[in-house]
Amino acid sequence: MGPGDWLSLAQGALVTVALSLAAIAIGLPLGLALALVRWRGVPYASPAIATLVSLLRAAPGVTLGLLIFFALPTVGISIEAIPAAIVTLTLITAAFDCEIWRGALVDFPRDQLEAAQSVGMTAGTRLRLIVLPQILRSALPALVNEMTLLVKASPAVAVLGVVDITRAAVRIGANTYEPLPPFSAALVIYSLVVFLFVLAQRLVERRRRAAEVA
Amino acid sequence: MNAPPPVLEVRALTKSFGDHVVLDGIDLVVARGETVCILGPSGSGKSTLLRCLNWLETPDSGTVVLSRERLGVLPGGNHRMSDAALARMRTRIGFVFQHFALWPHLSAIENVMIAPLHVQRRPRAEVRAEAEALLAKVGLADRADYFPAKLSGGQKQRVGIARALAMKPELLLFDEPTSALDPELVGEVLVVMRELARDGMTMVVVTHEMGFAREAANRVVLIDHGRVVETGTPEAFFDNPQTERARQFLMRYAGASTRANGAAAAG
Amino acid sequence: MTTGLAILWEHRDLLIDGFLTTLWLAALSALASLALGSLLAIALMARRPMVARASGALVDAMRCVPFLLFAYIIYYGLPSLGLRFSNWSSGLFALIVYNTAYMAELLRGAWRGLPVEMIEAGHAFGFHGIRLVRRIILPPVILAAVPMLGNQVIQIIKDSAFLTIIAVEELTHAATVIQQTYFLPFASFVSALLLYWVLCVGVEQLVRRVGAHAEARR
Repeated sequence: MGPGDWLSLAQGALVTVALSLAAIAIGLPLGLALALVRWRGVPYASPAIATLVSLLRAAPGVTLGLLIFFALPTVGISIEAIPAAIVTLTLITAAFDCEIWRGALVDFPRDQLEAAQSVGMTAGTRLRLIVLPQILRSALPALVNEMTLLVKASPAVAVLGVVDITRAAVRIGANTYEPLPPFSAALVIYSLVVFLFVLAQRLVERRRRAAEVA
Repeated sequence: MNAPPPVLEVRALTKSFGDHVVLDGIDLVVARGETVCILGPSGSGKSTLLRCLNWLETPDSGTVVLSRERLGVLPGGNHRMSDAALARMRTRIGFVFQHFALWPHLSAIENVMIAPLHVQRRPRAEVRAEAEALLAKVGLADRADYFPAKLSGGQKQRVGIARALAMKPELLLFDEPTSALDPELVGEVLVVMRELARDGMTMVVVTHEMGFAREAANRVVLIDHGRVVETGTPEAFFDNPQTERARQFLMRYAGASTRANGAAAAG
Repeated sequence: MTTGLAILWEHRDLLIDGFLTTLWLAALSALASLALGSLLAIALMARRPMVARASGALVDAMRCVPFLLFAYIIYYGLPSLGLRFSNWSSGLFALIVYNTAYMAELLRGAWRGLPVEMIEAGHAFGFHGIRLVRRIILPPVILAAVPMLGNQVIQIIKDSAFLTIIAVEELTHAATVIQQTYFLPFASFVSALLLYWVLCVGVEQLVRRVGAHAEARR
């Protein structure tokens, strides 16, 4: 494998990481919004979201990506590979984030909410000043864990034709007739990226445990 | 000359949880500056009654009127009050919780300041000065920047009282404020409450502390099985109970308390 | 859309075959990786630090590897080892090796959660070595690990979809074939997703049933 090959692998890795980060950035607030709707028990919307989240959490990235990429054009929405990839990854991570946020909301101590009610805070103010600052902290380890899982699942976008690290490795292998080196290199590079997220997760968990002890 | 309206008027309050009737027609009137202690055995409905007074629990029927304004229901009598209107009325009622219910991500002084700042939208400098004064009043001036995790139970409850006072309420409600405290921390909270009563705060206190009821209350109300059994001045109630149930209650509960007080005084 | 469903129903055999392949792959790899993971978990908990640390590093490394890339490596790598596996067998092999690490880590976590007295009692009654592990340690460990095992099985079901890229004829592959042959992208992939959903919900229900059974026996 020549230096040019390494470069395309690196570029491919960048593409997949960028897509993952985009999905994470949108999925986090989207998951929170969905969780809040479920927490408030909004009629019709709550059970609909529950069903949708259950479906998405069972959906393999490849299958969902194929659905979005090939099926949307049939209902008139033309979509390209990269947006389809982002939509796919975002939907999946938002569904998992929704469950994480919801877990934190359900566990939230009721007496703190009652204290906020008793000083005359309305629902929006309670959310902003009392609930969100605290669940951001409590949900963080699980959320970072989900980021790690998303990065690991992101090679699914290769099936849509996005030139991510998997496709880059495929191309190099096709050109050199030696698939093992590029795939091994791809595996190592991508595992290192995942490892960075794992380190971040361990850091978050360590700081959380230290805060609890103090 | 017209007398000022009572701060609180409760009429025919009922509340059931499923089949269990907790409040069975409660009437209560609290005048300005009065301190009313609500006593009763466990399960008598005392806490539920208190929580109905600021609509943390919604009563099934009956009325709660705060300074001639009806709580929880619009003037017509048919429609539930909007969340915003209810929140506005709640700013006039202070509530002190049995388990303190402080917000753990805020320091003591931030706990006291947050509602005047964001609900009443008062200027920060004014709110800060008042918060410091209130914390000083409850004896916690040097703990202003401490977080609840670093405070003892008695200190947390005193912050809770300061937090309730910061809204300048017309009425203060106390839900068994010392029941969750270790015995040696009870005193510091009762001292603060006695001072508030002396200063003319209108207070309704649900408590087991008979000593406090004797010394600080203008009136004592005994509740059992969701009804008012007897009401009167502390002297009348403790020394000369009129009803059989009151006598039974005093024998079971007040006896232990006076014995403990006597032991503390002797030791 | 309705004509699409009609055509899909006509050719449902393809979809059903794919579904069964997915089910078969997931079940086999789950059982095999659980068995192998149990052995690896023993190495993780070994008293000899070299063994524990080496296996720990291996497991940590595997848990950073994306499954698709790993499957590719197995697919292209096995022939160079002289092993001529079918695509299906390569896929199964990849799933088993990959998930052995996860199962081991899962079981180690459950193991750590065991009360020490239970093991001490085992020692006191003369259990040691393999017998201690088999009779005293593993049963409560596996029972405590059931919810996490359920999640791992769901992950295996989803990872199996990656194998479509190395031409294993599982559910996603079947859906793709239908979509390409009969131009039914919506019907084919929605059906596939619904079938994955049914599988995952089934696993969750099973976990709940086992959990209730375990609670009752306590």
